Amino acid sequence: MTTAAVQPRRPAKPRPSLVVPIGIVAFLAITWASLSEQFGIAFDLGKILEDITAGGEILISDRDSAAQYGLLVPNWAFLPQTVEPMIETFQMAVLAATIGCAVALPVAFVVSRVTTPNSPTFVLGRSVLSVVRAIPDILYALMFVASVSIGPLAGIAALVLFNIGVVAKLLSETVDGVDQGPIEAARAGGSNRPQTVRWAVLPQVLPNYVAYALYTFELNIRAATVIGIVGAGGIGYLLRGQYQFFNWSNVSVIIIVLFVCVFFIEMISIWLRRRLV
Amino acid sequence: MTAATMAGNRPQRPSRTKRNLALLGVGLIVAAAVATVDVDPAEILELPAGVALLFREMFLDPGPDWSYLPTAMEGMLESIQIAWVGTVIGAILSLPLGFFGAKNVSSPLVSNVVRQFLNVIRAFPEIILAITIMIPIAGLTPVAGALALGIHSIGTLGKLTAEVVEGIDPGPVEAARAAGGRPLQIQRWGILPQVLPEIVAFWLYRFEINIRASAILGAVGAGGIGFSLQQTIVFHRYELAGTAIIVVVVATIAVDTVSGWVRRRIIEGADARARPGDVEALGSPLREDTAIG
Amino acid sequence: MIRFEDASVTYPGGVHALNKLSLEIPDGQMVVIVGLSGAGKSTLIRAINGLVPLTEGDVTIDGVSVGSANPRKLREIRSRIGMIFQTFNLVKRTTVLNNVLMGRLHSTGTLRSLVGWYRPADVEIAMKALERVDIVEKAHVRASNLSGGQQQRVGIARALAQEPKILLADEPVASLDPPTSHVVMRDLQRINRELGITTIVNLHFLDLAKVYGERIIGLRSGELVYDGTAAAADENVFRDIYGRSLTADDVMGEASAAAATL
Repeated sequence: MTTAAVQPRRPAKPRPSLVVPIGIVAFLAITWASLSEQFGIAFDLGKILEDITAGGEILISDRDSAAQYGLLVPNWAFLPQTVEPMIETFQMAVLAATIGCAVALPVAFVVSRVTTPNSPTFVLGRSVLSVVRAIPDILYALMFVASVSIGPLAGIAALVLFNIGVVAKLLSETVDGVDQGPIEAARAGGSNRPQTVRWAVLPQVLPNYVAYALYTFELNIRAATVIGIVGAGGIGYLLRGQYQFFNWSNVSVIIIVLFVCVFFIEMISIWLRRRLV
Repeated sequence: MTAATMAGNRPQRPSRTKRNLALLGVGLIVAAAVATVDVDPAEILELPAGVALLFREMFLDPGPDWSYLPTAMEGMLESIQIAWVGTVIGAILSLPLGFFGAKNVSSPLVSNVVRQFLNVIRAFPEIILAITIMIPIAGLTPVAGALALGIHSIGTLGKLTAEVVEGIDPGPVEAARAAGGRPLQIQRWGILPQVLPEIVAFWLYRFEINIRASAILGAVGAGGIGFSLQQTIVFHRYELAGTAIIVVVVATIAVDTVSGWVRRRIIEGADARARPGDVEALGSPLREDTAIG
Repeated sequence: MIRFEDASVTYPGGVHALNKLSLEIPDGQMVVIVGLSGAGKSTLIRAINGLVPLTEGDVTIDGVSVGSANPRKLREIRSRIGMIFQTFNLVKRTTVLNNVLMGRLHSTGTLRSLVGWYRPADVEIAMKALERVDIVEKAHVRASNLSGGQQQRVGIARALAQEPKILLADEPVASLDPPTSHVVMRDLQRINRELGITTIVNLHFLDLAKVYGERIIGLRSGELVYDGTAAAADENVFRDIYGRSLTADDVMGEASAAAATL
């Protein structure tokens, strides 16, 4: 015989995991149900395509004019009217970001297990934050508009709550991941909890905090536009006024102004982020 | 010790003018906003009372009207479906676009064009898409909302997908190419396994966001619970609004929790396969004794 | 004086990190603790300032019990105990001076410390601590820009800024190369002699232990197996403590760069 070793038994092929097939089946079921007419939203591709070709006309025409105005041909004469509302949107974004981020800082420490030991405070904080985050900003806007009045105040208040939800969550996740060495050192030296958070945790998360603040500000410009539609001030309100009356060329100008502003703010924000970190 | 320990050797505090100027600038902007915004200070004081009143009517007295529950739940279901369809559209169409937009898979020219295209789509907030294009075309229907979400999602998911693909480990791709694989095969076997977990996680996260977006679209008429919320609040039927709000909160938290759990399992599963022996990689438990206090 | 009375630390699962340990450390002594990883060195040190609570027995400092101290009292006790760590535990993103000032936090009111408004006297103490370890010229440098040895010296300065009576060092040189390790150990020795601070150091390099330890304590499986002078601690003693023959890993040596791994 040869000195070749005896081969080990070939292993049986492992039974394929059921997870992926189940996942795919679930996915298909949910999608089919959602598209259907009886259970879902009645998604009819044929009809959509039909509508697109027919609807294209609407976009090109305009309510008052017989000529070829519309979404694709902006009415520049409308431009001056967009200035004030745009400034108001900007103000809302700035103020809401400032207040929201300021409040979110202590909240983030409360909802992170690293800075708040397992306790009723922690649990309560987490639950409250979940609820705050589960309410879409437009609902906040509707509620504040109903309780005070139309205008930027309602918008700022709504955005503040929205910001707290976003920043507190992001920041708390950052806090969860900090290097705990300095925390141990601070404890070993006899610091109390606020001191430890201030000197061992905060310096580690500060760059992230600034990045989140800038990000929030960008989000706010877009969000302010949206909630303006239900009356919370800014350019959203103007937009609604125009599209309700099918003044597509004015709508077009508003959208262009929006895009330009968002673009500039994004550029500045990227520049700032590079400088500060 | 040495002469260097004499007090005269202590360094000066470095100047921080640049930082201070930046802070001052930000402060000025904020101050300007405070000064010029069209808000009546008296109204600020009224705010807490106004909100408290609303809260009371919605949740305490007369409190939520539970007979509205079926309607609210139907609306929420519709919103979820809108979000689902929108996410599916976004996911399916963003996958190839993401690959086309990745510098390391397609040519620099093509990838650039695709990325710019995606940036343009991304810049359209869903609501703008909805009210300016979808609703005029498809009418005030949930389908319009789904399309608006879908198109915006293509933009965001496409960008994220492209970034993930660009960040892969080139090793398996090289191996596949060396073995003589065709481009599509390389993508299927060399790239896709690496990026799929992260991409699916993005899809799920997008779904969570789209649920909220779907509520917003509802408020401008595209169906779903947003519509109920808007109608009930604007017409002061606060007891119905209370019910609707509870439904929204519960459903959103539920979806977030399930989606978050699935996302974590997907990412963890991927990590475990990549480093089978390295249990540490699956996340270090927080040591109880280093919690503060 | 630090006294351990039948101190035990048992983790859930039955592991005895410390097993009925009794020990007395008079003021001003320099003690080196040696033993295998997991023998209880870290636990013993952390029991002194209460970072690890005892499951049985007690540890007292000048008669005051650490185990039964309430949180406030515990912080007070800790403020007189300085600690330095294997991984330095500095706040990397901030300056050396801010790190050292953390040693003055206990004596600074909470509101003042939140704003960072330390008293001039406290800043002076911090500066003097930096001078004592010869690194004051880096006071305003970001901690992450320093080498390992420099960071550890800042760690020592932070501990000194507390004006402590006791100094605990948990494997202070395990992350440093041999020459730097000697510098740090010499600093600790000098501080112990000049300031009379009780110094307790965990080491896993036996040659360092013999050179710098006035008194050597050997731990094995949470129990005290040797307590004597460095002179009397020969190879047999160490073999006893380790429960096995010694290897090259147990000795730092001057020539062996490999010994200076983490």
